[in-house]
Amino acid sequence: MRAKFKWPLALMALAAPGLAVANAELAKLQKDPKQWVMPAGNFYNWRYSELKQINKDNVKNLRVAWTFSTGVLRGHEGGPLVIGDTLYLHTPFPNKVFAISLDDYSIKWKYEPKQDPSVIPVMCCDTVNRGLAYAEGKIFLQQADTTLVALDAKTGKVIWKAVNGNPKIGETNTNAPHVFKDKVFTGISGGEFGVRGFMAAYDINTGKLVWKCYSTGPDDEMCFDPDKTMTWTNGKMAPVGKDSSLKTWQGDQWKIGGGTTWGWYSYDPELNLMYYGSGNPSTWNPSQRPGDNKWSMTIFARDVDTGKAKWVYQMTPHDEWDYDGVNEMILADITVKGKKRKALVHFDRNGFAYTLDRVTGELLVAEKYDPKVNWATHVDMKTGRPQVVAKYATSKHTSPDRGPDINVKGICPAALGSKDQQPAAFNPKNGLFYVPTNHVCMDYEPFKVEYVAGQPYVGATLSMYPAPDSHGGMGNFIIWDADKGKIVASKPEKFSVWSGALVTAGDVAFYGTLDGYIKAVDTKDLKELWKFKTPSGIIGNITTWEYKGKQYIGVLSGIGGWAGIGLAAGLEKDTDGLGAVGGYKELARYTDLGGVLTVFSLP
Amino acid sequence: MRGKIVVAAVLVMGFLGSLKAAGGAAETKSEGKPLYRVEGNKVDPDTLAGWKTWRALACERCHGARQEGMVGPSLIESLKVLTKEQFKETLLNGRPERGMPGFANSQTVTENIDNLYAYLKGRSDGKIPPGRLEELK
Repeated sequence: MRAKFKWPLALMALAAPGLAVANAELAKLQKDPKQWVMPAGNFYNWRYSELKQINKDNVKNLRVAWTFSTGVLRGHEGGPLVIGDTLYLHTPFPNKVFAISLDDYSIKWKYEPKQDPSVIPVMCCDTVNRGLAYAEGKIFLQQADTTLVALDAKTGKVIWKAVNGNPKIGETNTNAPHVFKDKVFTGISGGEFGVRGFMAAYDINTGKLVWKCYSTGPDDEMCFDPDKTMTWTNGKMAPVGKDSSLKTWQGDQWKIGGGTTWGWYSYDPELNLMYYGSGNPSTWNPSQRPGDNKWSMTIFARDVDTGKAKWVYQMTPHDEWDYDGVNEMILADITVKGKKRKALVHFDRNGFAYTLDRVTGELLVAEKYDPKVNWATHVDMKTGRPQVVAKYATSKHTSPDRGPDINVKGICPAALGSKDQQPAAFNPKNGLFYVPTNHVCMDYEPFKVEYVAGQPYVGATLSMYPAPDSHGGMGNFIIWDADKGKIVASKPEKFSVWSGALVTAGDVAFYGTLDGYIKAVDTKDLKELWKFKTPSGIIGNITTWEYKGKQYIGVLSGIGGWAGIGLAAGLEKDTDGLGAVGGYKELARYTDLGGVLTVFSLP
Repeated sequence: MRGKIVVAAVLVMGFLGSLKAAGGAAETKSEGKPLYRVEGNKVDPDTLAGWKTWRALACERCHGARQEGMVGPSLIESLKVLTKEQFKETLLNGRPERGMPGFANSQTVTENIDNLYAYLKGRSDGKIPPGRLEELK
């Protein structure tokens, strides 16, 4: 019936004989369910744990084991890492790092970088940071001001620093760094400042830049081979050809064309490929940038060692709605249309869930994961292009009666997408995906803007509100079948589900809500089994680990981010926070600022 | 509706020249013209250019779409206190320690700084409504 995960959870690829893995330690550690050594728990972005001391029958008995205040306000995204007897925790700007003993909860060390506060107004949508990376005794912090730092995991002492970008031209960082092999990967934020997106790989031992590949521009700067980099073309894979990006921009707009890279990255050791998505093209006024604006809004598969792009797939050509393509790529081996596939599953901001073959880049499935999505009727499976509904176009290049200063109403989803960065989880026990979603629509009014380095380059006014003619709420937590392209179950939520999900072998899925509840649901039918009100709204991701025989569940609360920016920034009017507040006004009744890690266990 | 009264006030002001009347709209441009003219959501072309400058620089990211404050302070309140000179100085040089960038290198701002001041003063005075504006012919 349904795609069954056919092999044991141990990452077979890593166990394959003769496979050289530079960072063998990380490959080994992620197989130990007692620890949580990377943002999503493993290279594949699963957010799944083999631990089952906490299960669907006893989860109702969870109680608070310990708590920790970060001392920082604003939005707390991401989650902690657990390595051995130590928990590592990050904060939003000023990006403090704490190493906390799991024995007595004392602070082993604390690192607080000195950053120029002028970086704050250059950050889009709150001063969030999505977490840390670990490898070979080092903790990696990606600061807001683009400084990438390697700290000694034992002492907190700085081992090396690298400068990844320049805030003076709008470049900042919010993403978690990711370690694959002997490199630490980081991208860049600043799509609202005309920043040109890139992916960069640094040597974990020296901080030396190994490679840097852009999202837009000349082939060599994107690390494209016109004859070997492939893309889905008329129902099959074909080379992208020469100047595949340059041809889709007017003049040299690609230089300020966006396509930033602030999401979560994944890695397949067997294929030696890393996967990530690029964000919106700049500006938000599409009439100013005719063309497909490649390779913004694109899934990239790159060689880990060289950065060479093996294949690409653009989801939203000529974006007119700010549907960044940065959400995580989940790598899962599932049966798709009767055939076993090494799949890549991606829940895009644009409201479509994509299943691709991660080896070849072939498009296999693209279906709406929220029935309210209306800006496109469907994705044409031959061309791979969404079929835009003229009524919801905001660009004069799509619809001649559209353009600057024309307000387009009732577009679903809103700019923050059917899902934003809040990561989904994969359950290898049933081959299904557990997805935190937004159920929000918008009015979108573009206007003409001029580019000035380091200054906002947005060019649209937005209003957002709960999806009309629905359950009245702004979110759902869903189970998704990536083979059928169908919702298996959906649990309505009052607010967007802006928290990363976790699935465990105890047949429990966890997620947090914007009004501050952590919830446990049955992986079979999403029946609510337990909930607890944490001190603030949750936009962080749920994590689990085991220490001295006890399983723990941890979650950061601390409202903020785009969803909570109205609160984080003390707003309450409709088009503030780039329009994200209208539907979220009511949140203020339930939650206020402040970062706290809450940790639960069974009595 | 509401705007009509303002215009009346502005007309009176025209008669009284530079006499300072209560209510804030009394501030004038250098040549003795009222700082801004407003009827409903229609404003004079200069003030409209001020609103467009506000929008182009995405000032709402910090000050909120209605200027009532966010990570940055409420300009409704600030403009009750700041002199025009202080306003210009803050806008051009910024307050880096507080996270306010300087806009001296933005041509849009330097060319429209008086217009932006007029728009924000009108918002602060409670005379210009929030949101979209159109040209008063």
